Amino acid sequence: MEAIAIKALTKKYKDFTAVDALDLTIGKGELFGLLGVNGAGKTTTIKMLSCLSKPTSGKAEVMGFDIVEKSDEVKKVISISTQETAVAPNLTVRENLEFIAKVYGIENPKAAADKIIAEFSLQEKENSRTKTLSGGWQRKVSIAMALITSPQVLFLDEPTLGLDVLARRELWKVIEQLKSKMTIILTTHYLEEAEALCDRIAIMTHGKLRAVGTADELMKLAGKDNFEDAFVEIAERSGN
Amino acid sequence: MRIKAFAERNIKELLRDPLSYLFCLGFPVVMLVLMTIINKSIPPQAGMTVFRIDNLCAGITVFGLTFLMLFAALLTSKDRTSSFLMRLYASPMTAVDFIAGYYIPLIILAVIQCVITFGVSFVIAVIEGVSLNVGNILLAIVTLIPSIIMFIGFGLFFGGMFSQNAAPGLCSAIISAASILGGIWMDVDAIGGAIETICKVLPFYHSVNAARCAVDGNVGDGVTSILIVSAYMVVVTVLAIVVFRKNMSSDNK
Ligand SMILES: Nc1ncnc2c1ncn2[C@@H]1O[C@H](COP(=O)(O)OP(=O)(O)O)[C@@H](O)[C@H]1O
Ligand SMILES: [Mg+2]
Repeated sequence: MEAIAIKALTKKYKDFTAVDALDLTIGKGELFGLLGVNGAGKTTTIKMLSCLSKPTSGKAEVMGFDIVEKSDEVKKVISISTQETAVAPNLTVRENLEFIAKVYGIENPKAAADKIIAEFSLQEKENSRTKTLSGGWQRKVSIAMALITSPQVLFLDEPTLGLDVLARRELWKVIEQLKSKMTIILTTHYLEEAEALCDRIAIMTHGKLRAVGTADELMKLAGKDNFEDAFVEIAERSGN
Repeated sequence: MRIKAFAERNIKELLRDPLSYLFCLGFPVVMLVLMTIINKSIPPQAGMTVFRIDNLCAGITVFGLTFLMLFAALLTSKDRTSSFLMRLYASPMTAVDFIAGYYIPLIILAVIQCVITFGVSFVIAVIEGVSLNVGNILLAIVTLIPSIIMFIGFGLFFGGMFSQNAAPGLCSAIISAASILGGIWMDVDAIGGAIETICKVLPFYHSVNAARCAVDGNVGDGVTSILIVSAYMVVVTVLAIVVFRKNMSSDNK
């Protein structure tokens, strides 16, 4: 069984097709990148896979559960870090983490929070109200909240959006440590991020999937020797 | 477990905003004291007793509840825009978990607020030599339960329907309507005409009236008012739940 199996998944907003007949399978333990410019349909795809938005047509299964018919089951095994930071502003870092642990019915929320606070080096700020933290810290907390539930599938929607270079590199390290512990679907419009982190990358433009493969495979496919040129070639070849 | 966790979070979120202390608890108390002082300067010959503590306390308590509505609206509209809720929509939280988790802490706060407002009223009554019966006060709080649920429902409905900027404005409109048409500052029964009719079609007068009857020891006289408020409570609660369920799918944004 694949972690995620997507067949002809489509999302229309009135006449506008945000995601167009997506076909994709993602293996267990894979760190999979959805790469595309703003408006390509990445967030819409993530929203459908995490049961936040109903597909107009097509099907998808997450860990063998249909995202429409078995959404209750899907919700138990996934976790999402949304494109915008999603924290309770007036709770402390620790309270945010323990709250999410309780929502997912984790036995010992305190111990789970201890563990994740250590993993993310959040000790220094654990008792600060989350709203008082910088954007970078808030984002780290937001991602830690997605991880405290030990999900089988983790969605990271633009995890490094708005972070400075140092914070971005730090987050990359965290994400790399998660590799192969769970299936991760990461969206980004930063080429170097997809290239640096992902096992495989799917390039999306205008809601359509244009190419899938490792960074090397995509460069070979496009006949280019750097990833940026390959991306531009693939995006333009498909009439972008 | 999920309801408890979410309710705990909401109560923290509400109480850590110092404005909620100020308005929900402080404001009614300040109003009570202020109106009592004003009442003292009204000559007894004027025969104006609206501001006397036994008449005042029910109205001010309802006035305090309207602020709770504002905070319910602020909490939910803020939650919706912050994508914190989106994360929870993708979690095992159900619609029931969400709604109960919002209602329960707000109801607890509302009851505490009623107890404090009536408690301060009682102290003022003792000082002023006006008779206020504790049993009647407790009964008045019970008559306010449908109003409590209704006002919270209004707050959750506005918070679920409108943005962080629009929701407080709409709540202010309800606060004004409740205070003007609710008979908090005037004797609606003595007005007559179209205004009296409007007051009596809307629930606010009835919220105040039910509690006022109970304070006066005639809880039976307020039964019709309690029923009218209860009808509003049911409608508003259903609307709040419908809006919430709709919001749970990001397709409806
Ligand atoms: N709720 C919506 N209603 C209408 N159009 C939408 C909605 N959500 C997204 N879109 C449109 O769908 C397209 C894809 O958006 P999105 O999935 O957010 O892209 P990405 O995450 O790749 O930047 C965009 O053109 C966007 O304007
Ligand atoms: Mg996006």
